[in-house]
Amino acid sequence: MAEMKTAAYICKGCELGARLDTATLVKTATKDGKMNLVREHDFLCSTDGVAMIRNDIDNEGVTHIAICACSRRAKTEAFNFTTVAMSRGNLREGVIWIRPDTDAARETTQEMAEDYVRMACAEVKAMQVPAGNQNTGTSKTLLVVGGGMSGMTAALEASKTGYKVVLIEKTGSLGGMAGKLWKRIPNREPFKAPMDSGVADLAAQIDADANIKVYLNAVIAKTAGAPGRFKVDIAVESGPTVTEDIGAIIQATGFTPYDMNKLPNLGGGQANVVDQLGLEAMAKAANGGPIKRADGKEVKSVVFVQCAGQRDATKEHLEYCSGHCCATSVKQAMYFKDANPDVDTVVLYTDLRMPGNNEDFYRAAQNKGVIFSKGEVSNVSASGNGCTVKFKDLILNEETSADADLVVLATGMVPTTGPDLDQLNEANRAAEGGDEGAKEQVIQMMSKSVLNLDYRQGPDVPQFKHGFNDSHFICFPYETRRTAIYAAGPVRRPMDIAQATEDATGAAMKAIQAMENAGLGKAAHPRSGDLSFPTARLEGCTQCKRCTVECPFGAIDEDERRFPLFNESRCRRCGTCMGACPVRVISFENYSVNTVGAQIKAVDIPDEFSEKPRVLILACENDAYPALDMAGMNHNEYDPFVRVIPVRCLGSVNTIWITDALNSGYDGVMLMGCKHGEQYQCHFVKGSELGRYRMSKIYDTLKGMNLEEERLMDLEVAITDIDTLPKKINDYAARIVEMGMSPFKGL
Amino acid sequence: MSDMNQQMTAKYKNNFLKEIEEQAEMGDWVKMCMQCGVCSGSCPTNFHSGWDHPPQELFMLIRAGKRDEVLNSNSMWNCVSCYNCYVRCPRKIPITHIMHGIAEYAYRIGRAPKSQPTLHLSQTFWNNATKTGRVNEVKLTQTLYFKDGIASGIKKAMAMQDVALGLVKAKRLNPLEAVGISHKCKDIKGIHAMLDKARELEAKRKGRTA
Amino acid sequence: MTSVVATNQTILVVGGGIAGMTAALEAAETGKQVVLVEKNPYLGGRTVQLYRYFPKMCHPTCGLEINLRRLKANPRIQVLTMAEVTGISGGKGNYSVNVKLAPRFVNENCTACGECNKVATTEVADAFNYNLGKVKAAYLPSSMAYPQRYVIDPSVIGTAEASAIKAACKYGAVDLDMKEETVTLNAGAIVWATGWQPYDAKNIQPYRYGEFPNVITNVEFERLADPHGPTGGKILRPSDGKEAKNVAFIQCAGSRDENHLRHCSRFCCMASLKQTRYVQEAFGDAGKSTIYYIDIRAIDRFEDFYQEVKANPNVSFVKSKVARISEDKNGDPRLWGVNTEGYVRYSEPHDLVVLAVGMEPSVKGVNIPAEVMSDSSGFLMADPVNAGIFGAGCATNALDVNRAVQSATAAALRAVQVVNKVARAEA
Repeated sequence: MAEMKTAAYICKGCELGARLDTATLVKTATKDGKMNLVREHDFLCSTDGVAMIRNDIDNEGVTHIAICACSRRAKTEAFNFTTVAMSRGNLREGVIWIRPDTDAARETTQEMAEDYVRMACAEVKAMQVPAGNQNTGTSKTLLVVGGGMSGMTAALEASKTGYKVVLIEKTGSLGGMAGKLWKRIPNREPFKAPMDSGVADLAAQIDADANIKVYLNAVIAKTAGAPGRFKVDIAVESGPTVTEDIGAIIQATGFTPYDMNKLPNLGGGQANVVDQLGLEAMAKAANGGPIKRADGKEVKSVVFVQCAGQRDATKEHLEYCSGHCCATSVKQAMYFKDANPDVDTVVLYTDLRMPGNNEDFYRAAQNKGVIFSKGEVSNVSASGNGCTVKFKDLILNEETSADADLVVLATGMVPTTGPDLDQLNEANRAAEGGDEGAKEQVIQMMSKSVLNLDYRQGPDVPQFKHGFNDSHFICFPYETRRTAIYAAGPVRRPMDIAQATEDATGAAMKAIQAMENAGLGKAAHPRSGDLSFPTARLEGCTQCKRCTVECPFGAIDEDERRFPLFNESRCRRCGTCMGACPVRVISFENYSVNTVGAQIKAVDIPDEFSEKPRVLILACENDAYPALDMAGMNHNEYDPFVRVIPVRCLGSVNTIWITDALNSGYDGVMLMGCKHGEQYQCHFVKGSELGRYRMSKIYDTLKGMNLEEERLMDLEVAITDIDTLPKKINDYAARIVEMGMSPFKGL
Repeated sequence: MSDMNQQMTAKYKNNFLKEIEEQAEMGDWVKMCMQCGVCSGSCPTNFHSGWDHPPQELFMLIRAGKRDEVLNSNSMWNCVSCYNCYVRCPRKIPITHIMHGIAEYAYRIGRAPKSQPTLHLSQTFWNNATKTGRVNEVKLTQTLYFKDGIASGIKKAMAMQDVALGLVKAKRLNPLEAVGISHKCKDIKGIHAMLDKARELEAKRKGRTA
Repeated sequence: MTSVVATNQTILVVGGGIAGMTAALEAAETGKQVVLVEKNPYLGGRTVQLYRYFPKMCHPTCGLEINLRRLKANPRIQVLTMAEVTGISGGKGNYSVNVKLAPRFVNENCTACGECNKVATTEVADAFNYNLGKVKAAYLPSSMAYPQRYVIDPSVIGTAEASAIKAACKYGAVDLDMKEETVTLNAGAIVWATGWQPYDAKNIQPYRYGEFPNVITNVEFERLADPHGPTGGKILRPSDGKEAKNVAFIQCAGSRDENHLRHCSRFCCMASLKQTRYVQEAFGDAGKSTIYYIDIRAIDRFEDFYQEVKANPNVSFVKSKVARISEDKNGDPRLWGVNTEGYVRYSEPHDLVVLAVGMEPSVKGVNIPAEVMSDSSGFLMADPVNAGIFGAGCATNALDVNRAVQSATAAALRAVQVVNKVARAEA
């Protein structure tokens, strides 16, 4: 690499020149920032300003630039210099826009600006341009686990895009649950009649597709490696284990129906009561003719009980709604009506959930004579040669009953996700402690594993709620906590075939993208394209394992010497490992203990008689920093004694930054991060939670330093706190003044 | 119980919905109701006159097979044909027509209550209109006013005399109609033939002989 | 003139809402060239006009921030705002597309310093806030607006005010001579993600929207609850600015109705459930919400959210499609109807009525080639075999945000398949 040559650029546009003494800022950058080259410009983001910087890079050999102008979120098209290390000193949104334009404020505003210039210079000098990871895999074969509708769709769509696919299915044939259906819910106009499931056609396409290799009667014995270089051992029944090189994985392992035997009150387990899948089998056997019961009797009356063992507020059964079952019962009622319009078909529901144009499907069923009653079923019992369904008719407001030859229970979907990692970890801990029951439990749980990941953090993808692999993010439905492993279909979230098809196609997109980017050493969402990656100076490592335990994405294993083993293509670059490391040996090229630490040190700390406290703010760059930025855009003023440093995630905050800051005379530290807990908003899932947990341990240190607990303030911030955040900052600054200056100044 | 009523009960056994679908005008729309209740809420009578069941509830009773409750109900007789329900129904169910259809069916099988005023009005109107092909308004009014006796009839007529005089002045009411001098239609035979044909078609559609 | 670099391996994404942005980003992050066309002056579509998302109660701008960062970091996406597709010719693998660009009157020199805004005097309707408030004729649509560049309303062009606005800009960013222009670009595949519009509630005559000021729509209510909306986040009713503590939500306002929208719009039940939380948040136990519904469609894991709201004693549920609304003397809208569960008539005054209006696909009136069909509600259905144009998000179905993103991710792959095929053929 070429020798480091640093340059700072001070912009005078947007009133910066009028509000600040930029000549002094130039001196600050030169003297304190020790920059090789410092230039002012009237309008830095103009073509001319950009050309000036470009010229310095191209012809002056500048390798590190500190742009002291507006926020790093602004003018990104102009300040787009990818070949050099770059920092942004935020003088506009961070200084002049949050300070009043008064003579009284001028001095503190200028001091603020000077500090931000020092910080930008200090930061960039500690940065390097990420070189990209050379240690990446190049496999672009997609593994699809599960040969049902979702799995087959994902495989075919990936193949159509030009990728090779390995498809494994644990049974002897493709089709999955959809293959057991007589017909499916329509997904195209006219939404009026059940239609062919298309399973046979998909299976035939897969057979004919040279890009797709299918393993039937096969399960995964082991998945090792990382995106772009997974080694997957496939155990095939009555055959040798095969190892495939895989780039990314889609888990499309589907669901099983909730066991109706758990619903004895609703007749589960008794004769003439079936679940929806049971009815599909009867319809298949009838092949379009009259549907017959197990005893051979033609069904002349049927009652569908919706939400059987679902939407259960008592939590004894499934708490969620499975989404498809209303439309499925409508479809199944049509099986009867289409074969014989005289069959009595009654659907008992509490809320009929048929979104979109399924409303037309509902209408079509009514038109065919299917009767819908809003009712709560209390009991299904055998009576005569059939069943009696007791229910409360909620419209007529009366207890009543209906007799039927057959009762169909719309039970819900139970996802096939493998063991819950939290439970497994707990069992593992107990087993390590010698608990025999726990050992048995671990074996039992491991037998349910789908992926058998050879990861430090467990064999499967962490689950979300109710055992599904869904993403917590509204905007990012495919996010999982295992890079390049995506869930598709009802294993992700309860869904019908139409949605599963879309879902599988989307998952294929994400998986293909993950393979491509793994090959280029680029990060996956949310820091998509980031070429930096964490490295550890192992000679300083104490093997404490905090990084391996805390990584929200299971990116770090332990090698045979028990040192952390980074799998960069699994890494999302959140920096949680860096924050966790007590000996500070983990760093990124462009983000490290040093890039932030140098900024903290660069701030000028006035002596204790100056009445100018200093408060360090470490703000999450995803939400808190934009909120501060927008506070600036809205000219919401805040205290001039704070100095803000954006961090990738609260999880990346190393406690040394805080203790160093307090030791060097800062009067307070504010941490601004996203909400954690069940409704977490952290884009790195566990980052803010881990960061906060870590910080909670600092209070002992504060005590040891004889400092008040309030010198450290942990604030939960949302991106919309544009008006409230300045107020909170001011309140805290006022509290600091009340508390008095830190005794550590000038030590 | 009339013979007709017993016949129908036997024919449809417990399937009252099917009975209504086949026998009542527009009855095959009943199944399309999704129990939103906009019809009931839209009725301008506000059910002040003591409706037994609003339309959507009546439809639910039909689906629940509550034959007696429906046929004994006064609801279909109370409809004022404003069509608010029909216009607002999200399923475009011709609720007004169904109400009349059920009323007509109840009457046909002998389940209409005696001295039902709506029934009386309808019958009077029908007889009046089909006899000559035109409505004789004075006679129609007389028949209605005096149905409960002379005293009550005079009282009602007196109360309405201003209205009547106004109508006469505006040439909207011809007092001579009282003595049978009224305008007739051109082809009364043709009208009767039309009505007979209509009856025949309707009977065929409902699967019964006229 | 605006220049766009595009070839028959470029993917054109029409619509810069959450679906369009997602499709563009997913394709670009897989290495494809993308042109993203948006008719508003900013990206984000309807989602950024929401205060919070269900069921997490998190903020749409949080995800938008990430998406914008992805976009800023990705050189493969070219964004055209204030742009509309006016014609498509050619076919799969080689389309020629005309895009009409409306003048912003502000060029890329803009630093968003806001000096132009200070001198503007004319006020125009604030479209970002569903016209509930006003903005100056030189405005930044929102703090999250991308491109972060002001817009000058065409109504002031040619006036002395426009000259003053131009003079206020020190950076030569105001260009009053900017004209509407049409660019023609090449594309191999097209993702049609033009989203939806709220059903026009004026069509639902008995609810008197547009006549009674205190009858508003669900999208407008989002702006009322948003601290950056026209009321600063206070839930005040329009007629007299009184705090709206007793709010009625009318479900299926237009949806599931053959007189209006045939389909169920899917998101509105959850949106109203969410909005009861705004009322609770604003007024605590003094805030009362009533949801008038036919079926509560809190599908799949959203059931949890429904159960939570149901457990709140300040929220009541009435199974009823409201028949009509009248107005009391004090301005209270009064709801008339029947609770069909057990038949209970009501005539209930509320401070404010929120109509849960449904989704109408924003594809009507657009000339899309015949290979793309639409269903009876106007939602797009691509021909699975022949199409090189793919619907994404709410242009294809009534979807919530999560499902729209899912749909857009799938659409991105379909588009990638086409351009990959073109690339292979040309290799």
